[in-house]
Amino acid sequence: MSVSDNFKIGVSFHSFAHEYLSFIWSFDEMMEKAAQLGGGIEIVGPSHHRSFPFVTPEFERTFKSAVDRFGLTPVSYGSYADPFMLPDRNLSPDELYDYTVPQIEGAAKLGFEVVRLQHFASVIAERLVPLAEKLKIKMGYELHVPLMIESARTQELLKQIETIESEYLGVIPDAGIFARSVSSRHVQEGRDMGVPENIIKAALDLWSKSVLIDEAIEKITAMGGDKRAITWIGVIWDTFGYSNPDDLKSIMKYVKHFHGKFFHIVDGDEPDLRYEELVHALMRYDYRGWVVSEYEGNTDDSFAIVQAHQDMIKRYMASFKG
Amino acid sequence: MQKRPKPKDRAFISDEPVRNACLDGKEGFIIKVRLTSYRALPLSCIEDISLSVDGRSISKDDMTFILNGERHALSDLAKLSHVWWWILDYAELFVASVGGLASGNHEIEGMLVTVEPYITAGRFSFFNSSKKQLAVAEVVS
Repeated sequence: MSVSDNFKIGVSFHSFAHEYLSFIWSFDEMMEKAAQLGGGIEIVGPSHHRSFPFVTPEFERTFKSAVDRFGLTPVSYGSYADPFMLPDRNLSPDELYDYTVPQIEGAAKLGFEVVRLQHFASVIAERLVPLAEKLKIKMGYELHVPLMIESARTQELLKQIETIESEYLGVIPDAGIFARSVSSRHVQEGRDMGVPENIIKAALDLWSKSVLIDEAIEKITAMGGDKRAITWIGVIWDTFGYSNPDDLKSIMKYVKHFHGKFFHIVDGDEPDLRYEELVHALMRYDYRGWVVSEYEGNTDDSFAIVQAHQDMIKRYMASFKG
Repeated sequence: MQKRPKPKDRAFISDEPVRNACLDGKEGFIIKVRLTSYRALPLSCIEDISLSVDGRSISKDDMTFILNGERHALSDLAKLSHVWWWILDYAELFVASVGGLASGNHEIEGMLVTVEPYITAGRFSFFNSSKKQLAVAEVVS
């Protein structure tokens, strides 16, 4: 069987949240760091530029200047549907469309190859595809927990992608769907939020049995779990999924981009996500796009942990080639 | 090697000193606050703001939310889906209080409740509480 190592490694600026939000690094400094972390970049719209959902001419200019100076590749722009931004109701499809169009136009202006869509955008996908085709920017639904490969919702999205049949619409799997366990930090966050120990234990038990979120919420509510417990469960079920990396085979033709989500690196490995199998699956099924490191955590040194993540991926690439 | 700056705290109640101030002829004090998310949010995503000073809970009617110089009553935030709180901007909470705060340290406790409007699994409230001992800034005249 022929094997490819043609996928490229880059970094999502979400990884640098600590330094960025604590005013240790400016946006320009993150661009500089990215050049040493593979050179492919992903930015998060409402985190990394003002005037979201619009891209200002000023940001376009300064962004492109930094791309040139540091020799970067703008890989992916994280757009948002934000359907719950109004307190009394969800956004209508027309409102979603008006909110999404400037984000896609902005991403294209900045030179990105891919724009991440949330699955909420599926109701307007048919209207967005002609725009994406015109601007030559690929759109991908992020497959982020609870959207695992086998989830009913994911299957609906795949069906739509198959029907629309445009190379400008596909998916962006997030490594968080390939978890083997809930990280100890996320358990501690539940404690810090004031979720009682018996509720935490029950919730972890439900997670390990692959119980769906609605059923988990129902069971935890019946045990007396309050609004905080439900919010914590929402986070857990929105962070850790139980897809099998091997199932990437069935969707590989639709994969436009890949989020290398990770929470910890311990002894050179991600303890809660199945990276070895994941890297091997990406190679076995000949993925040719980018994997961007997407660190989610509170380290004091995001650069070092992203480097460790990328070293891990390279090590698994090498081990696959044997 | 570049010097690494000291990180600015990301909690709702910032580390900046409290300032006595006068707003629309009303005496009071100002606390600098931050958005606790990782991304900008429209003000309509703020479900609640609560504050207590030295253990005394502040009435919402006595608070004014100030963002980039624009003043908003807390009861108006829900309507402001087109006003964005940029993630790197500090906002201010003005608290009407006759005479302002006495000099010295005060215990400032606050809670910001937001809806993160993008969560795949649905609409959830996020509770971000923080407590700080803050001094009152000396007035420079």
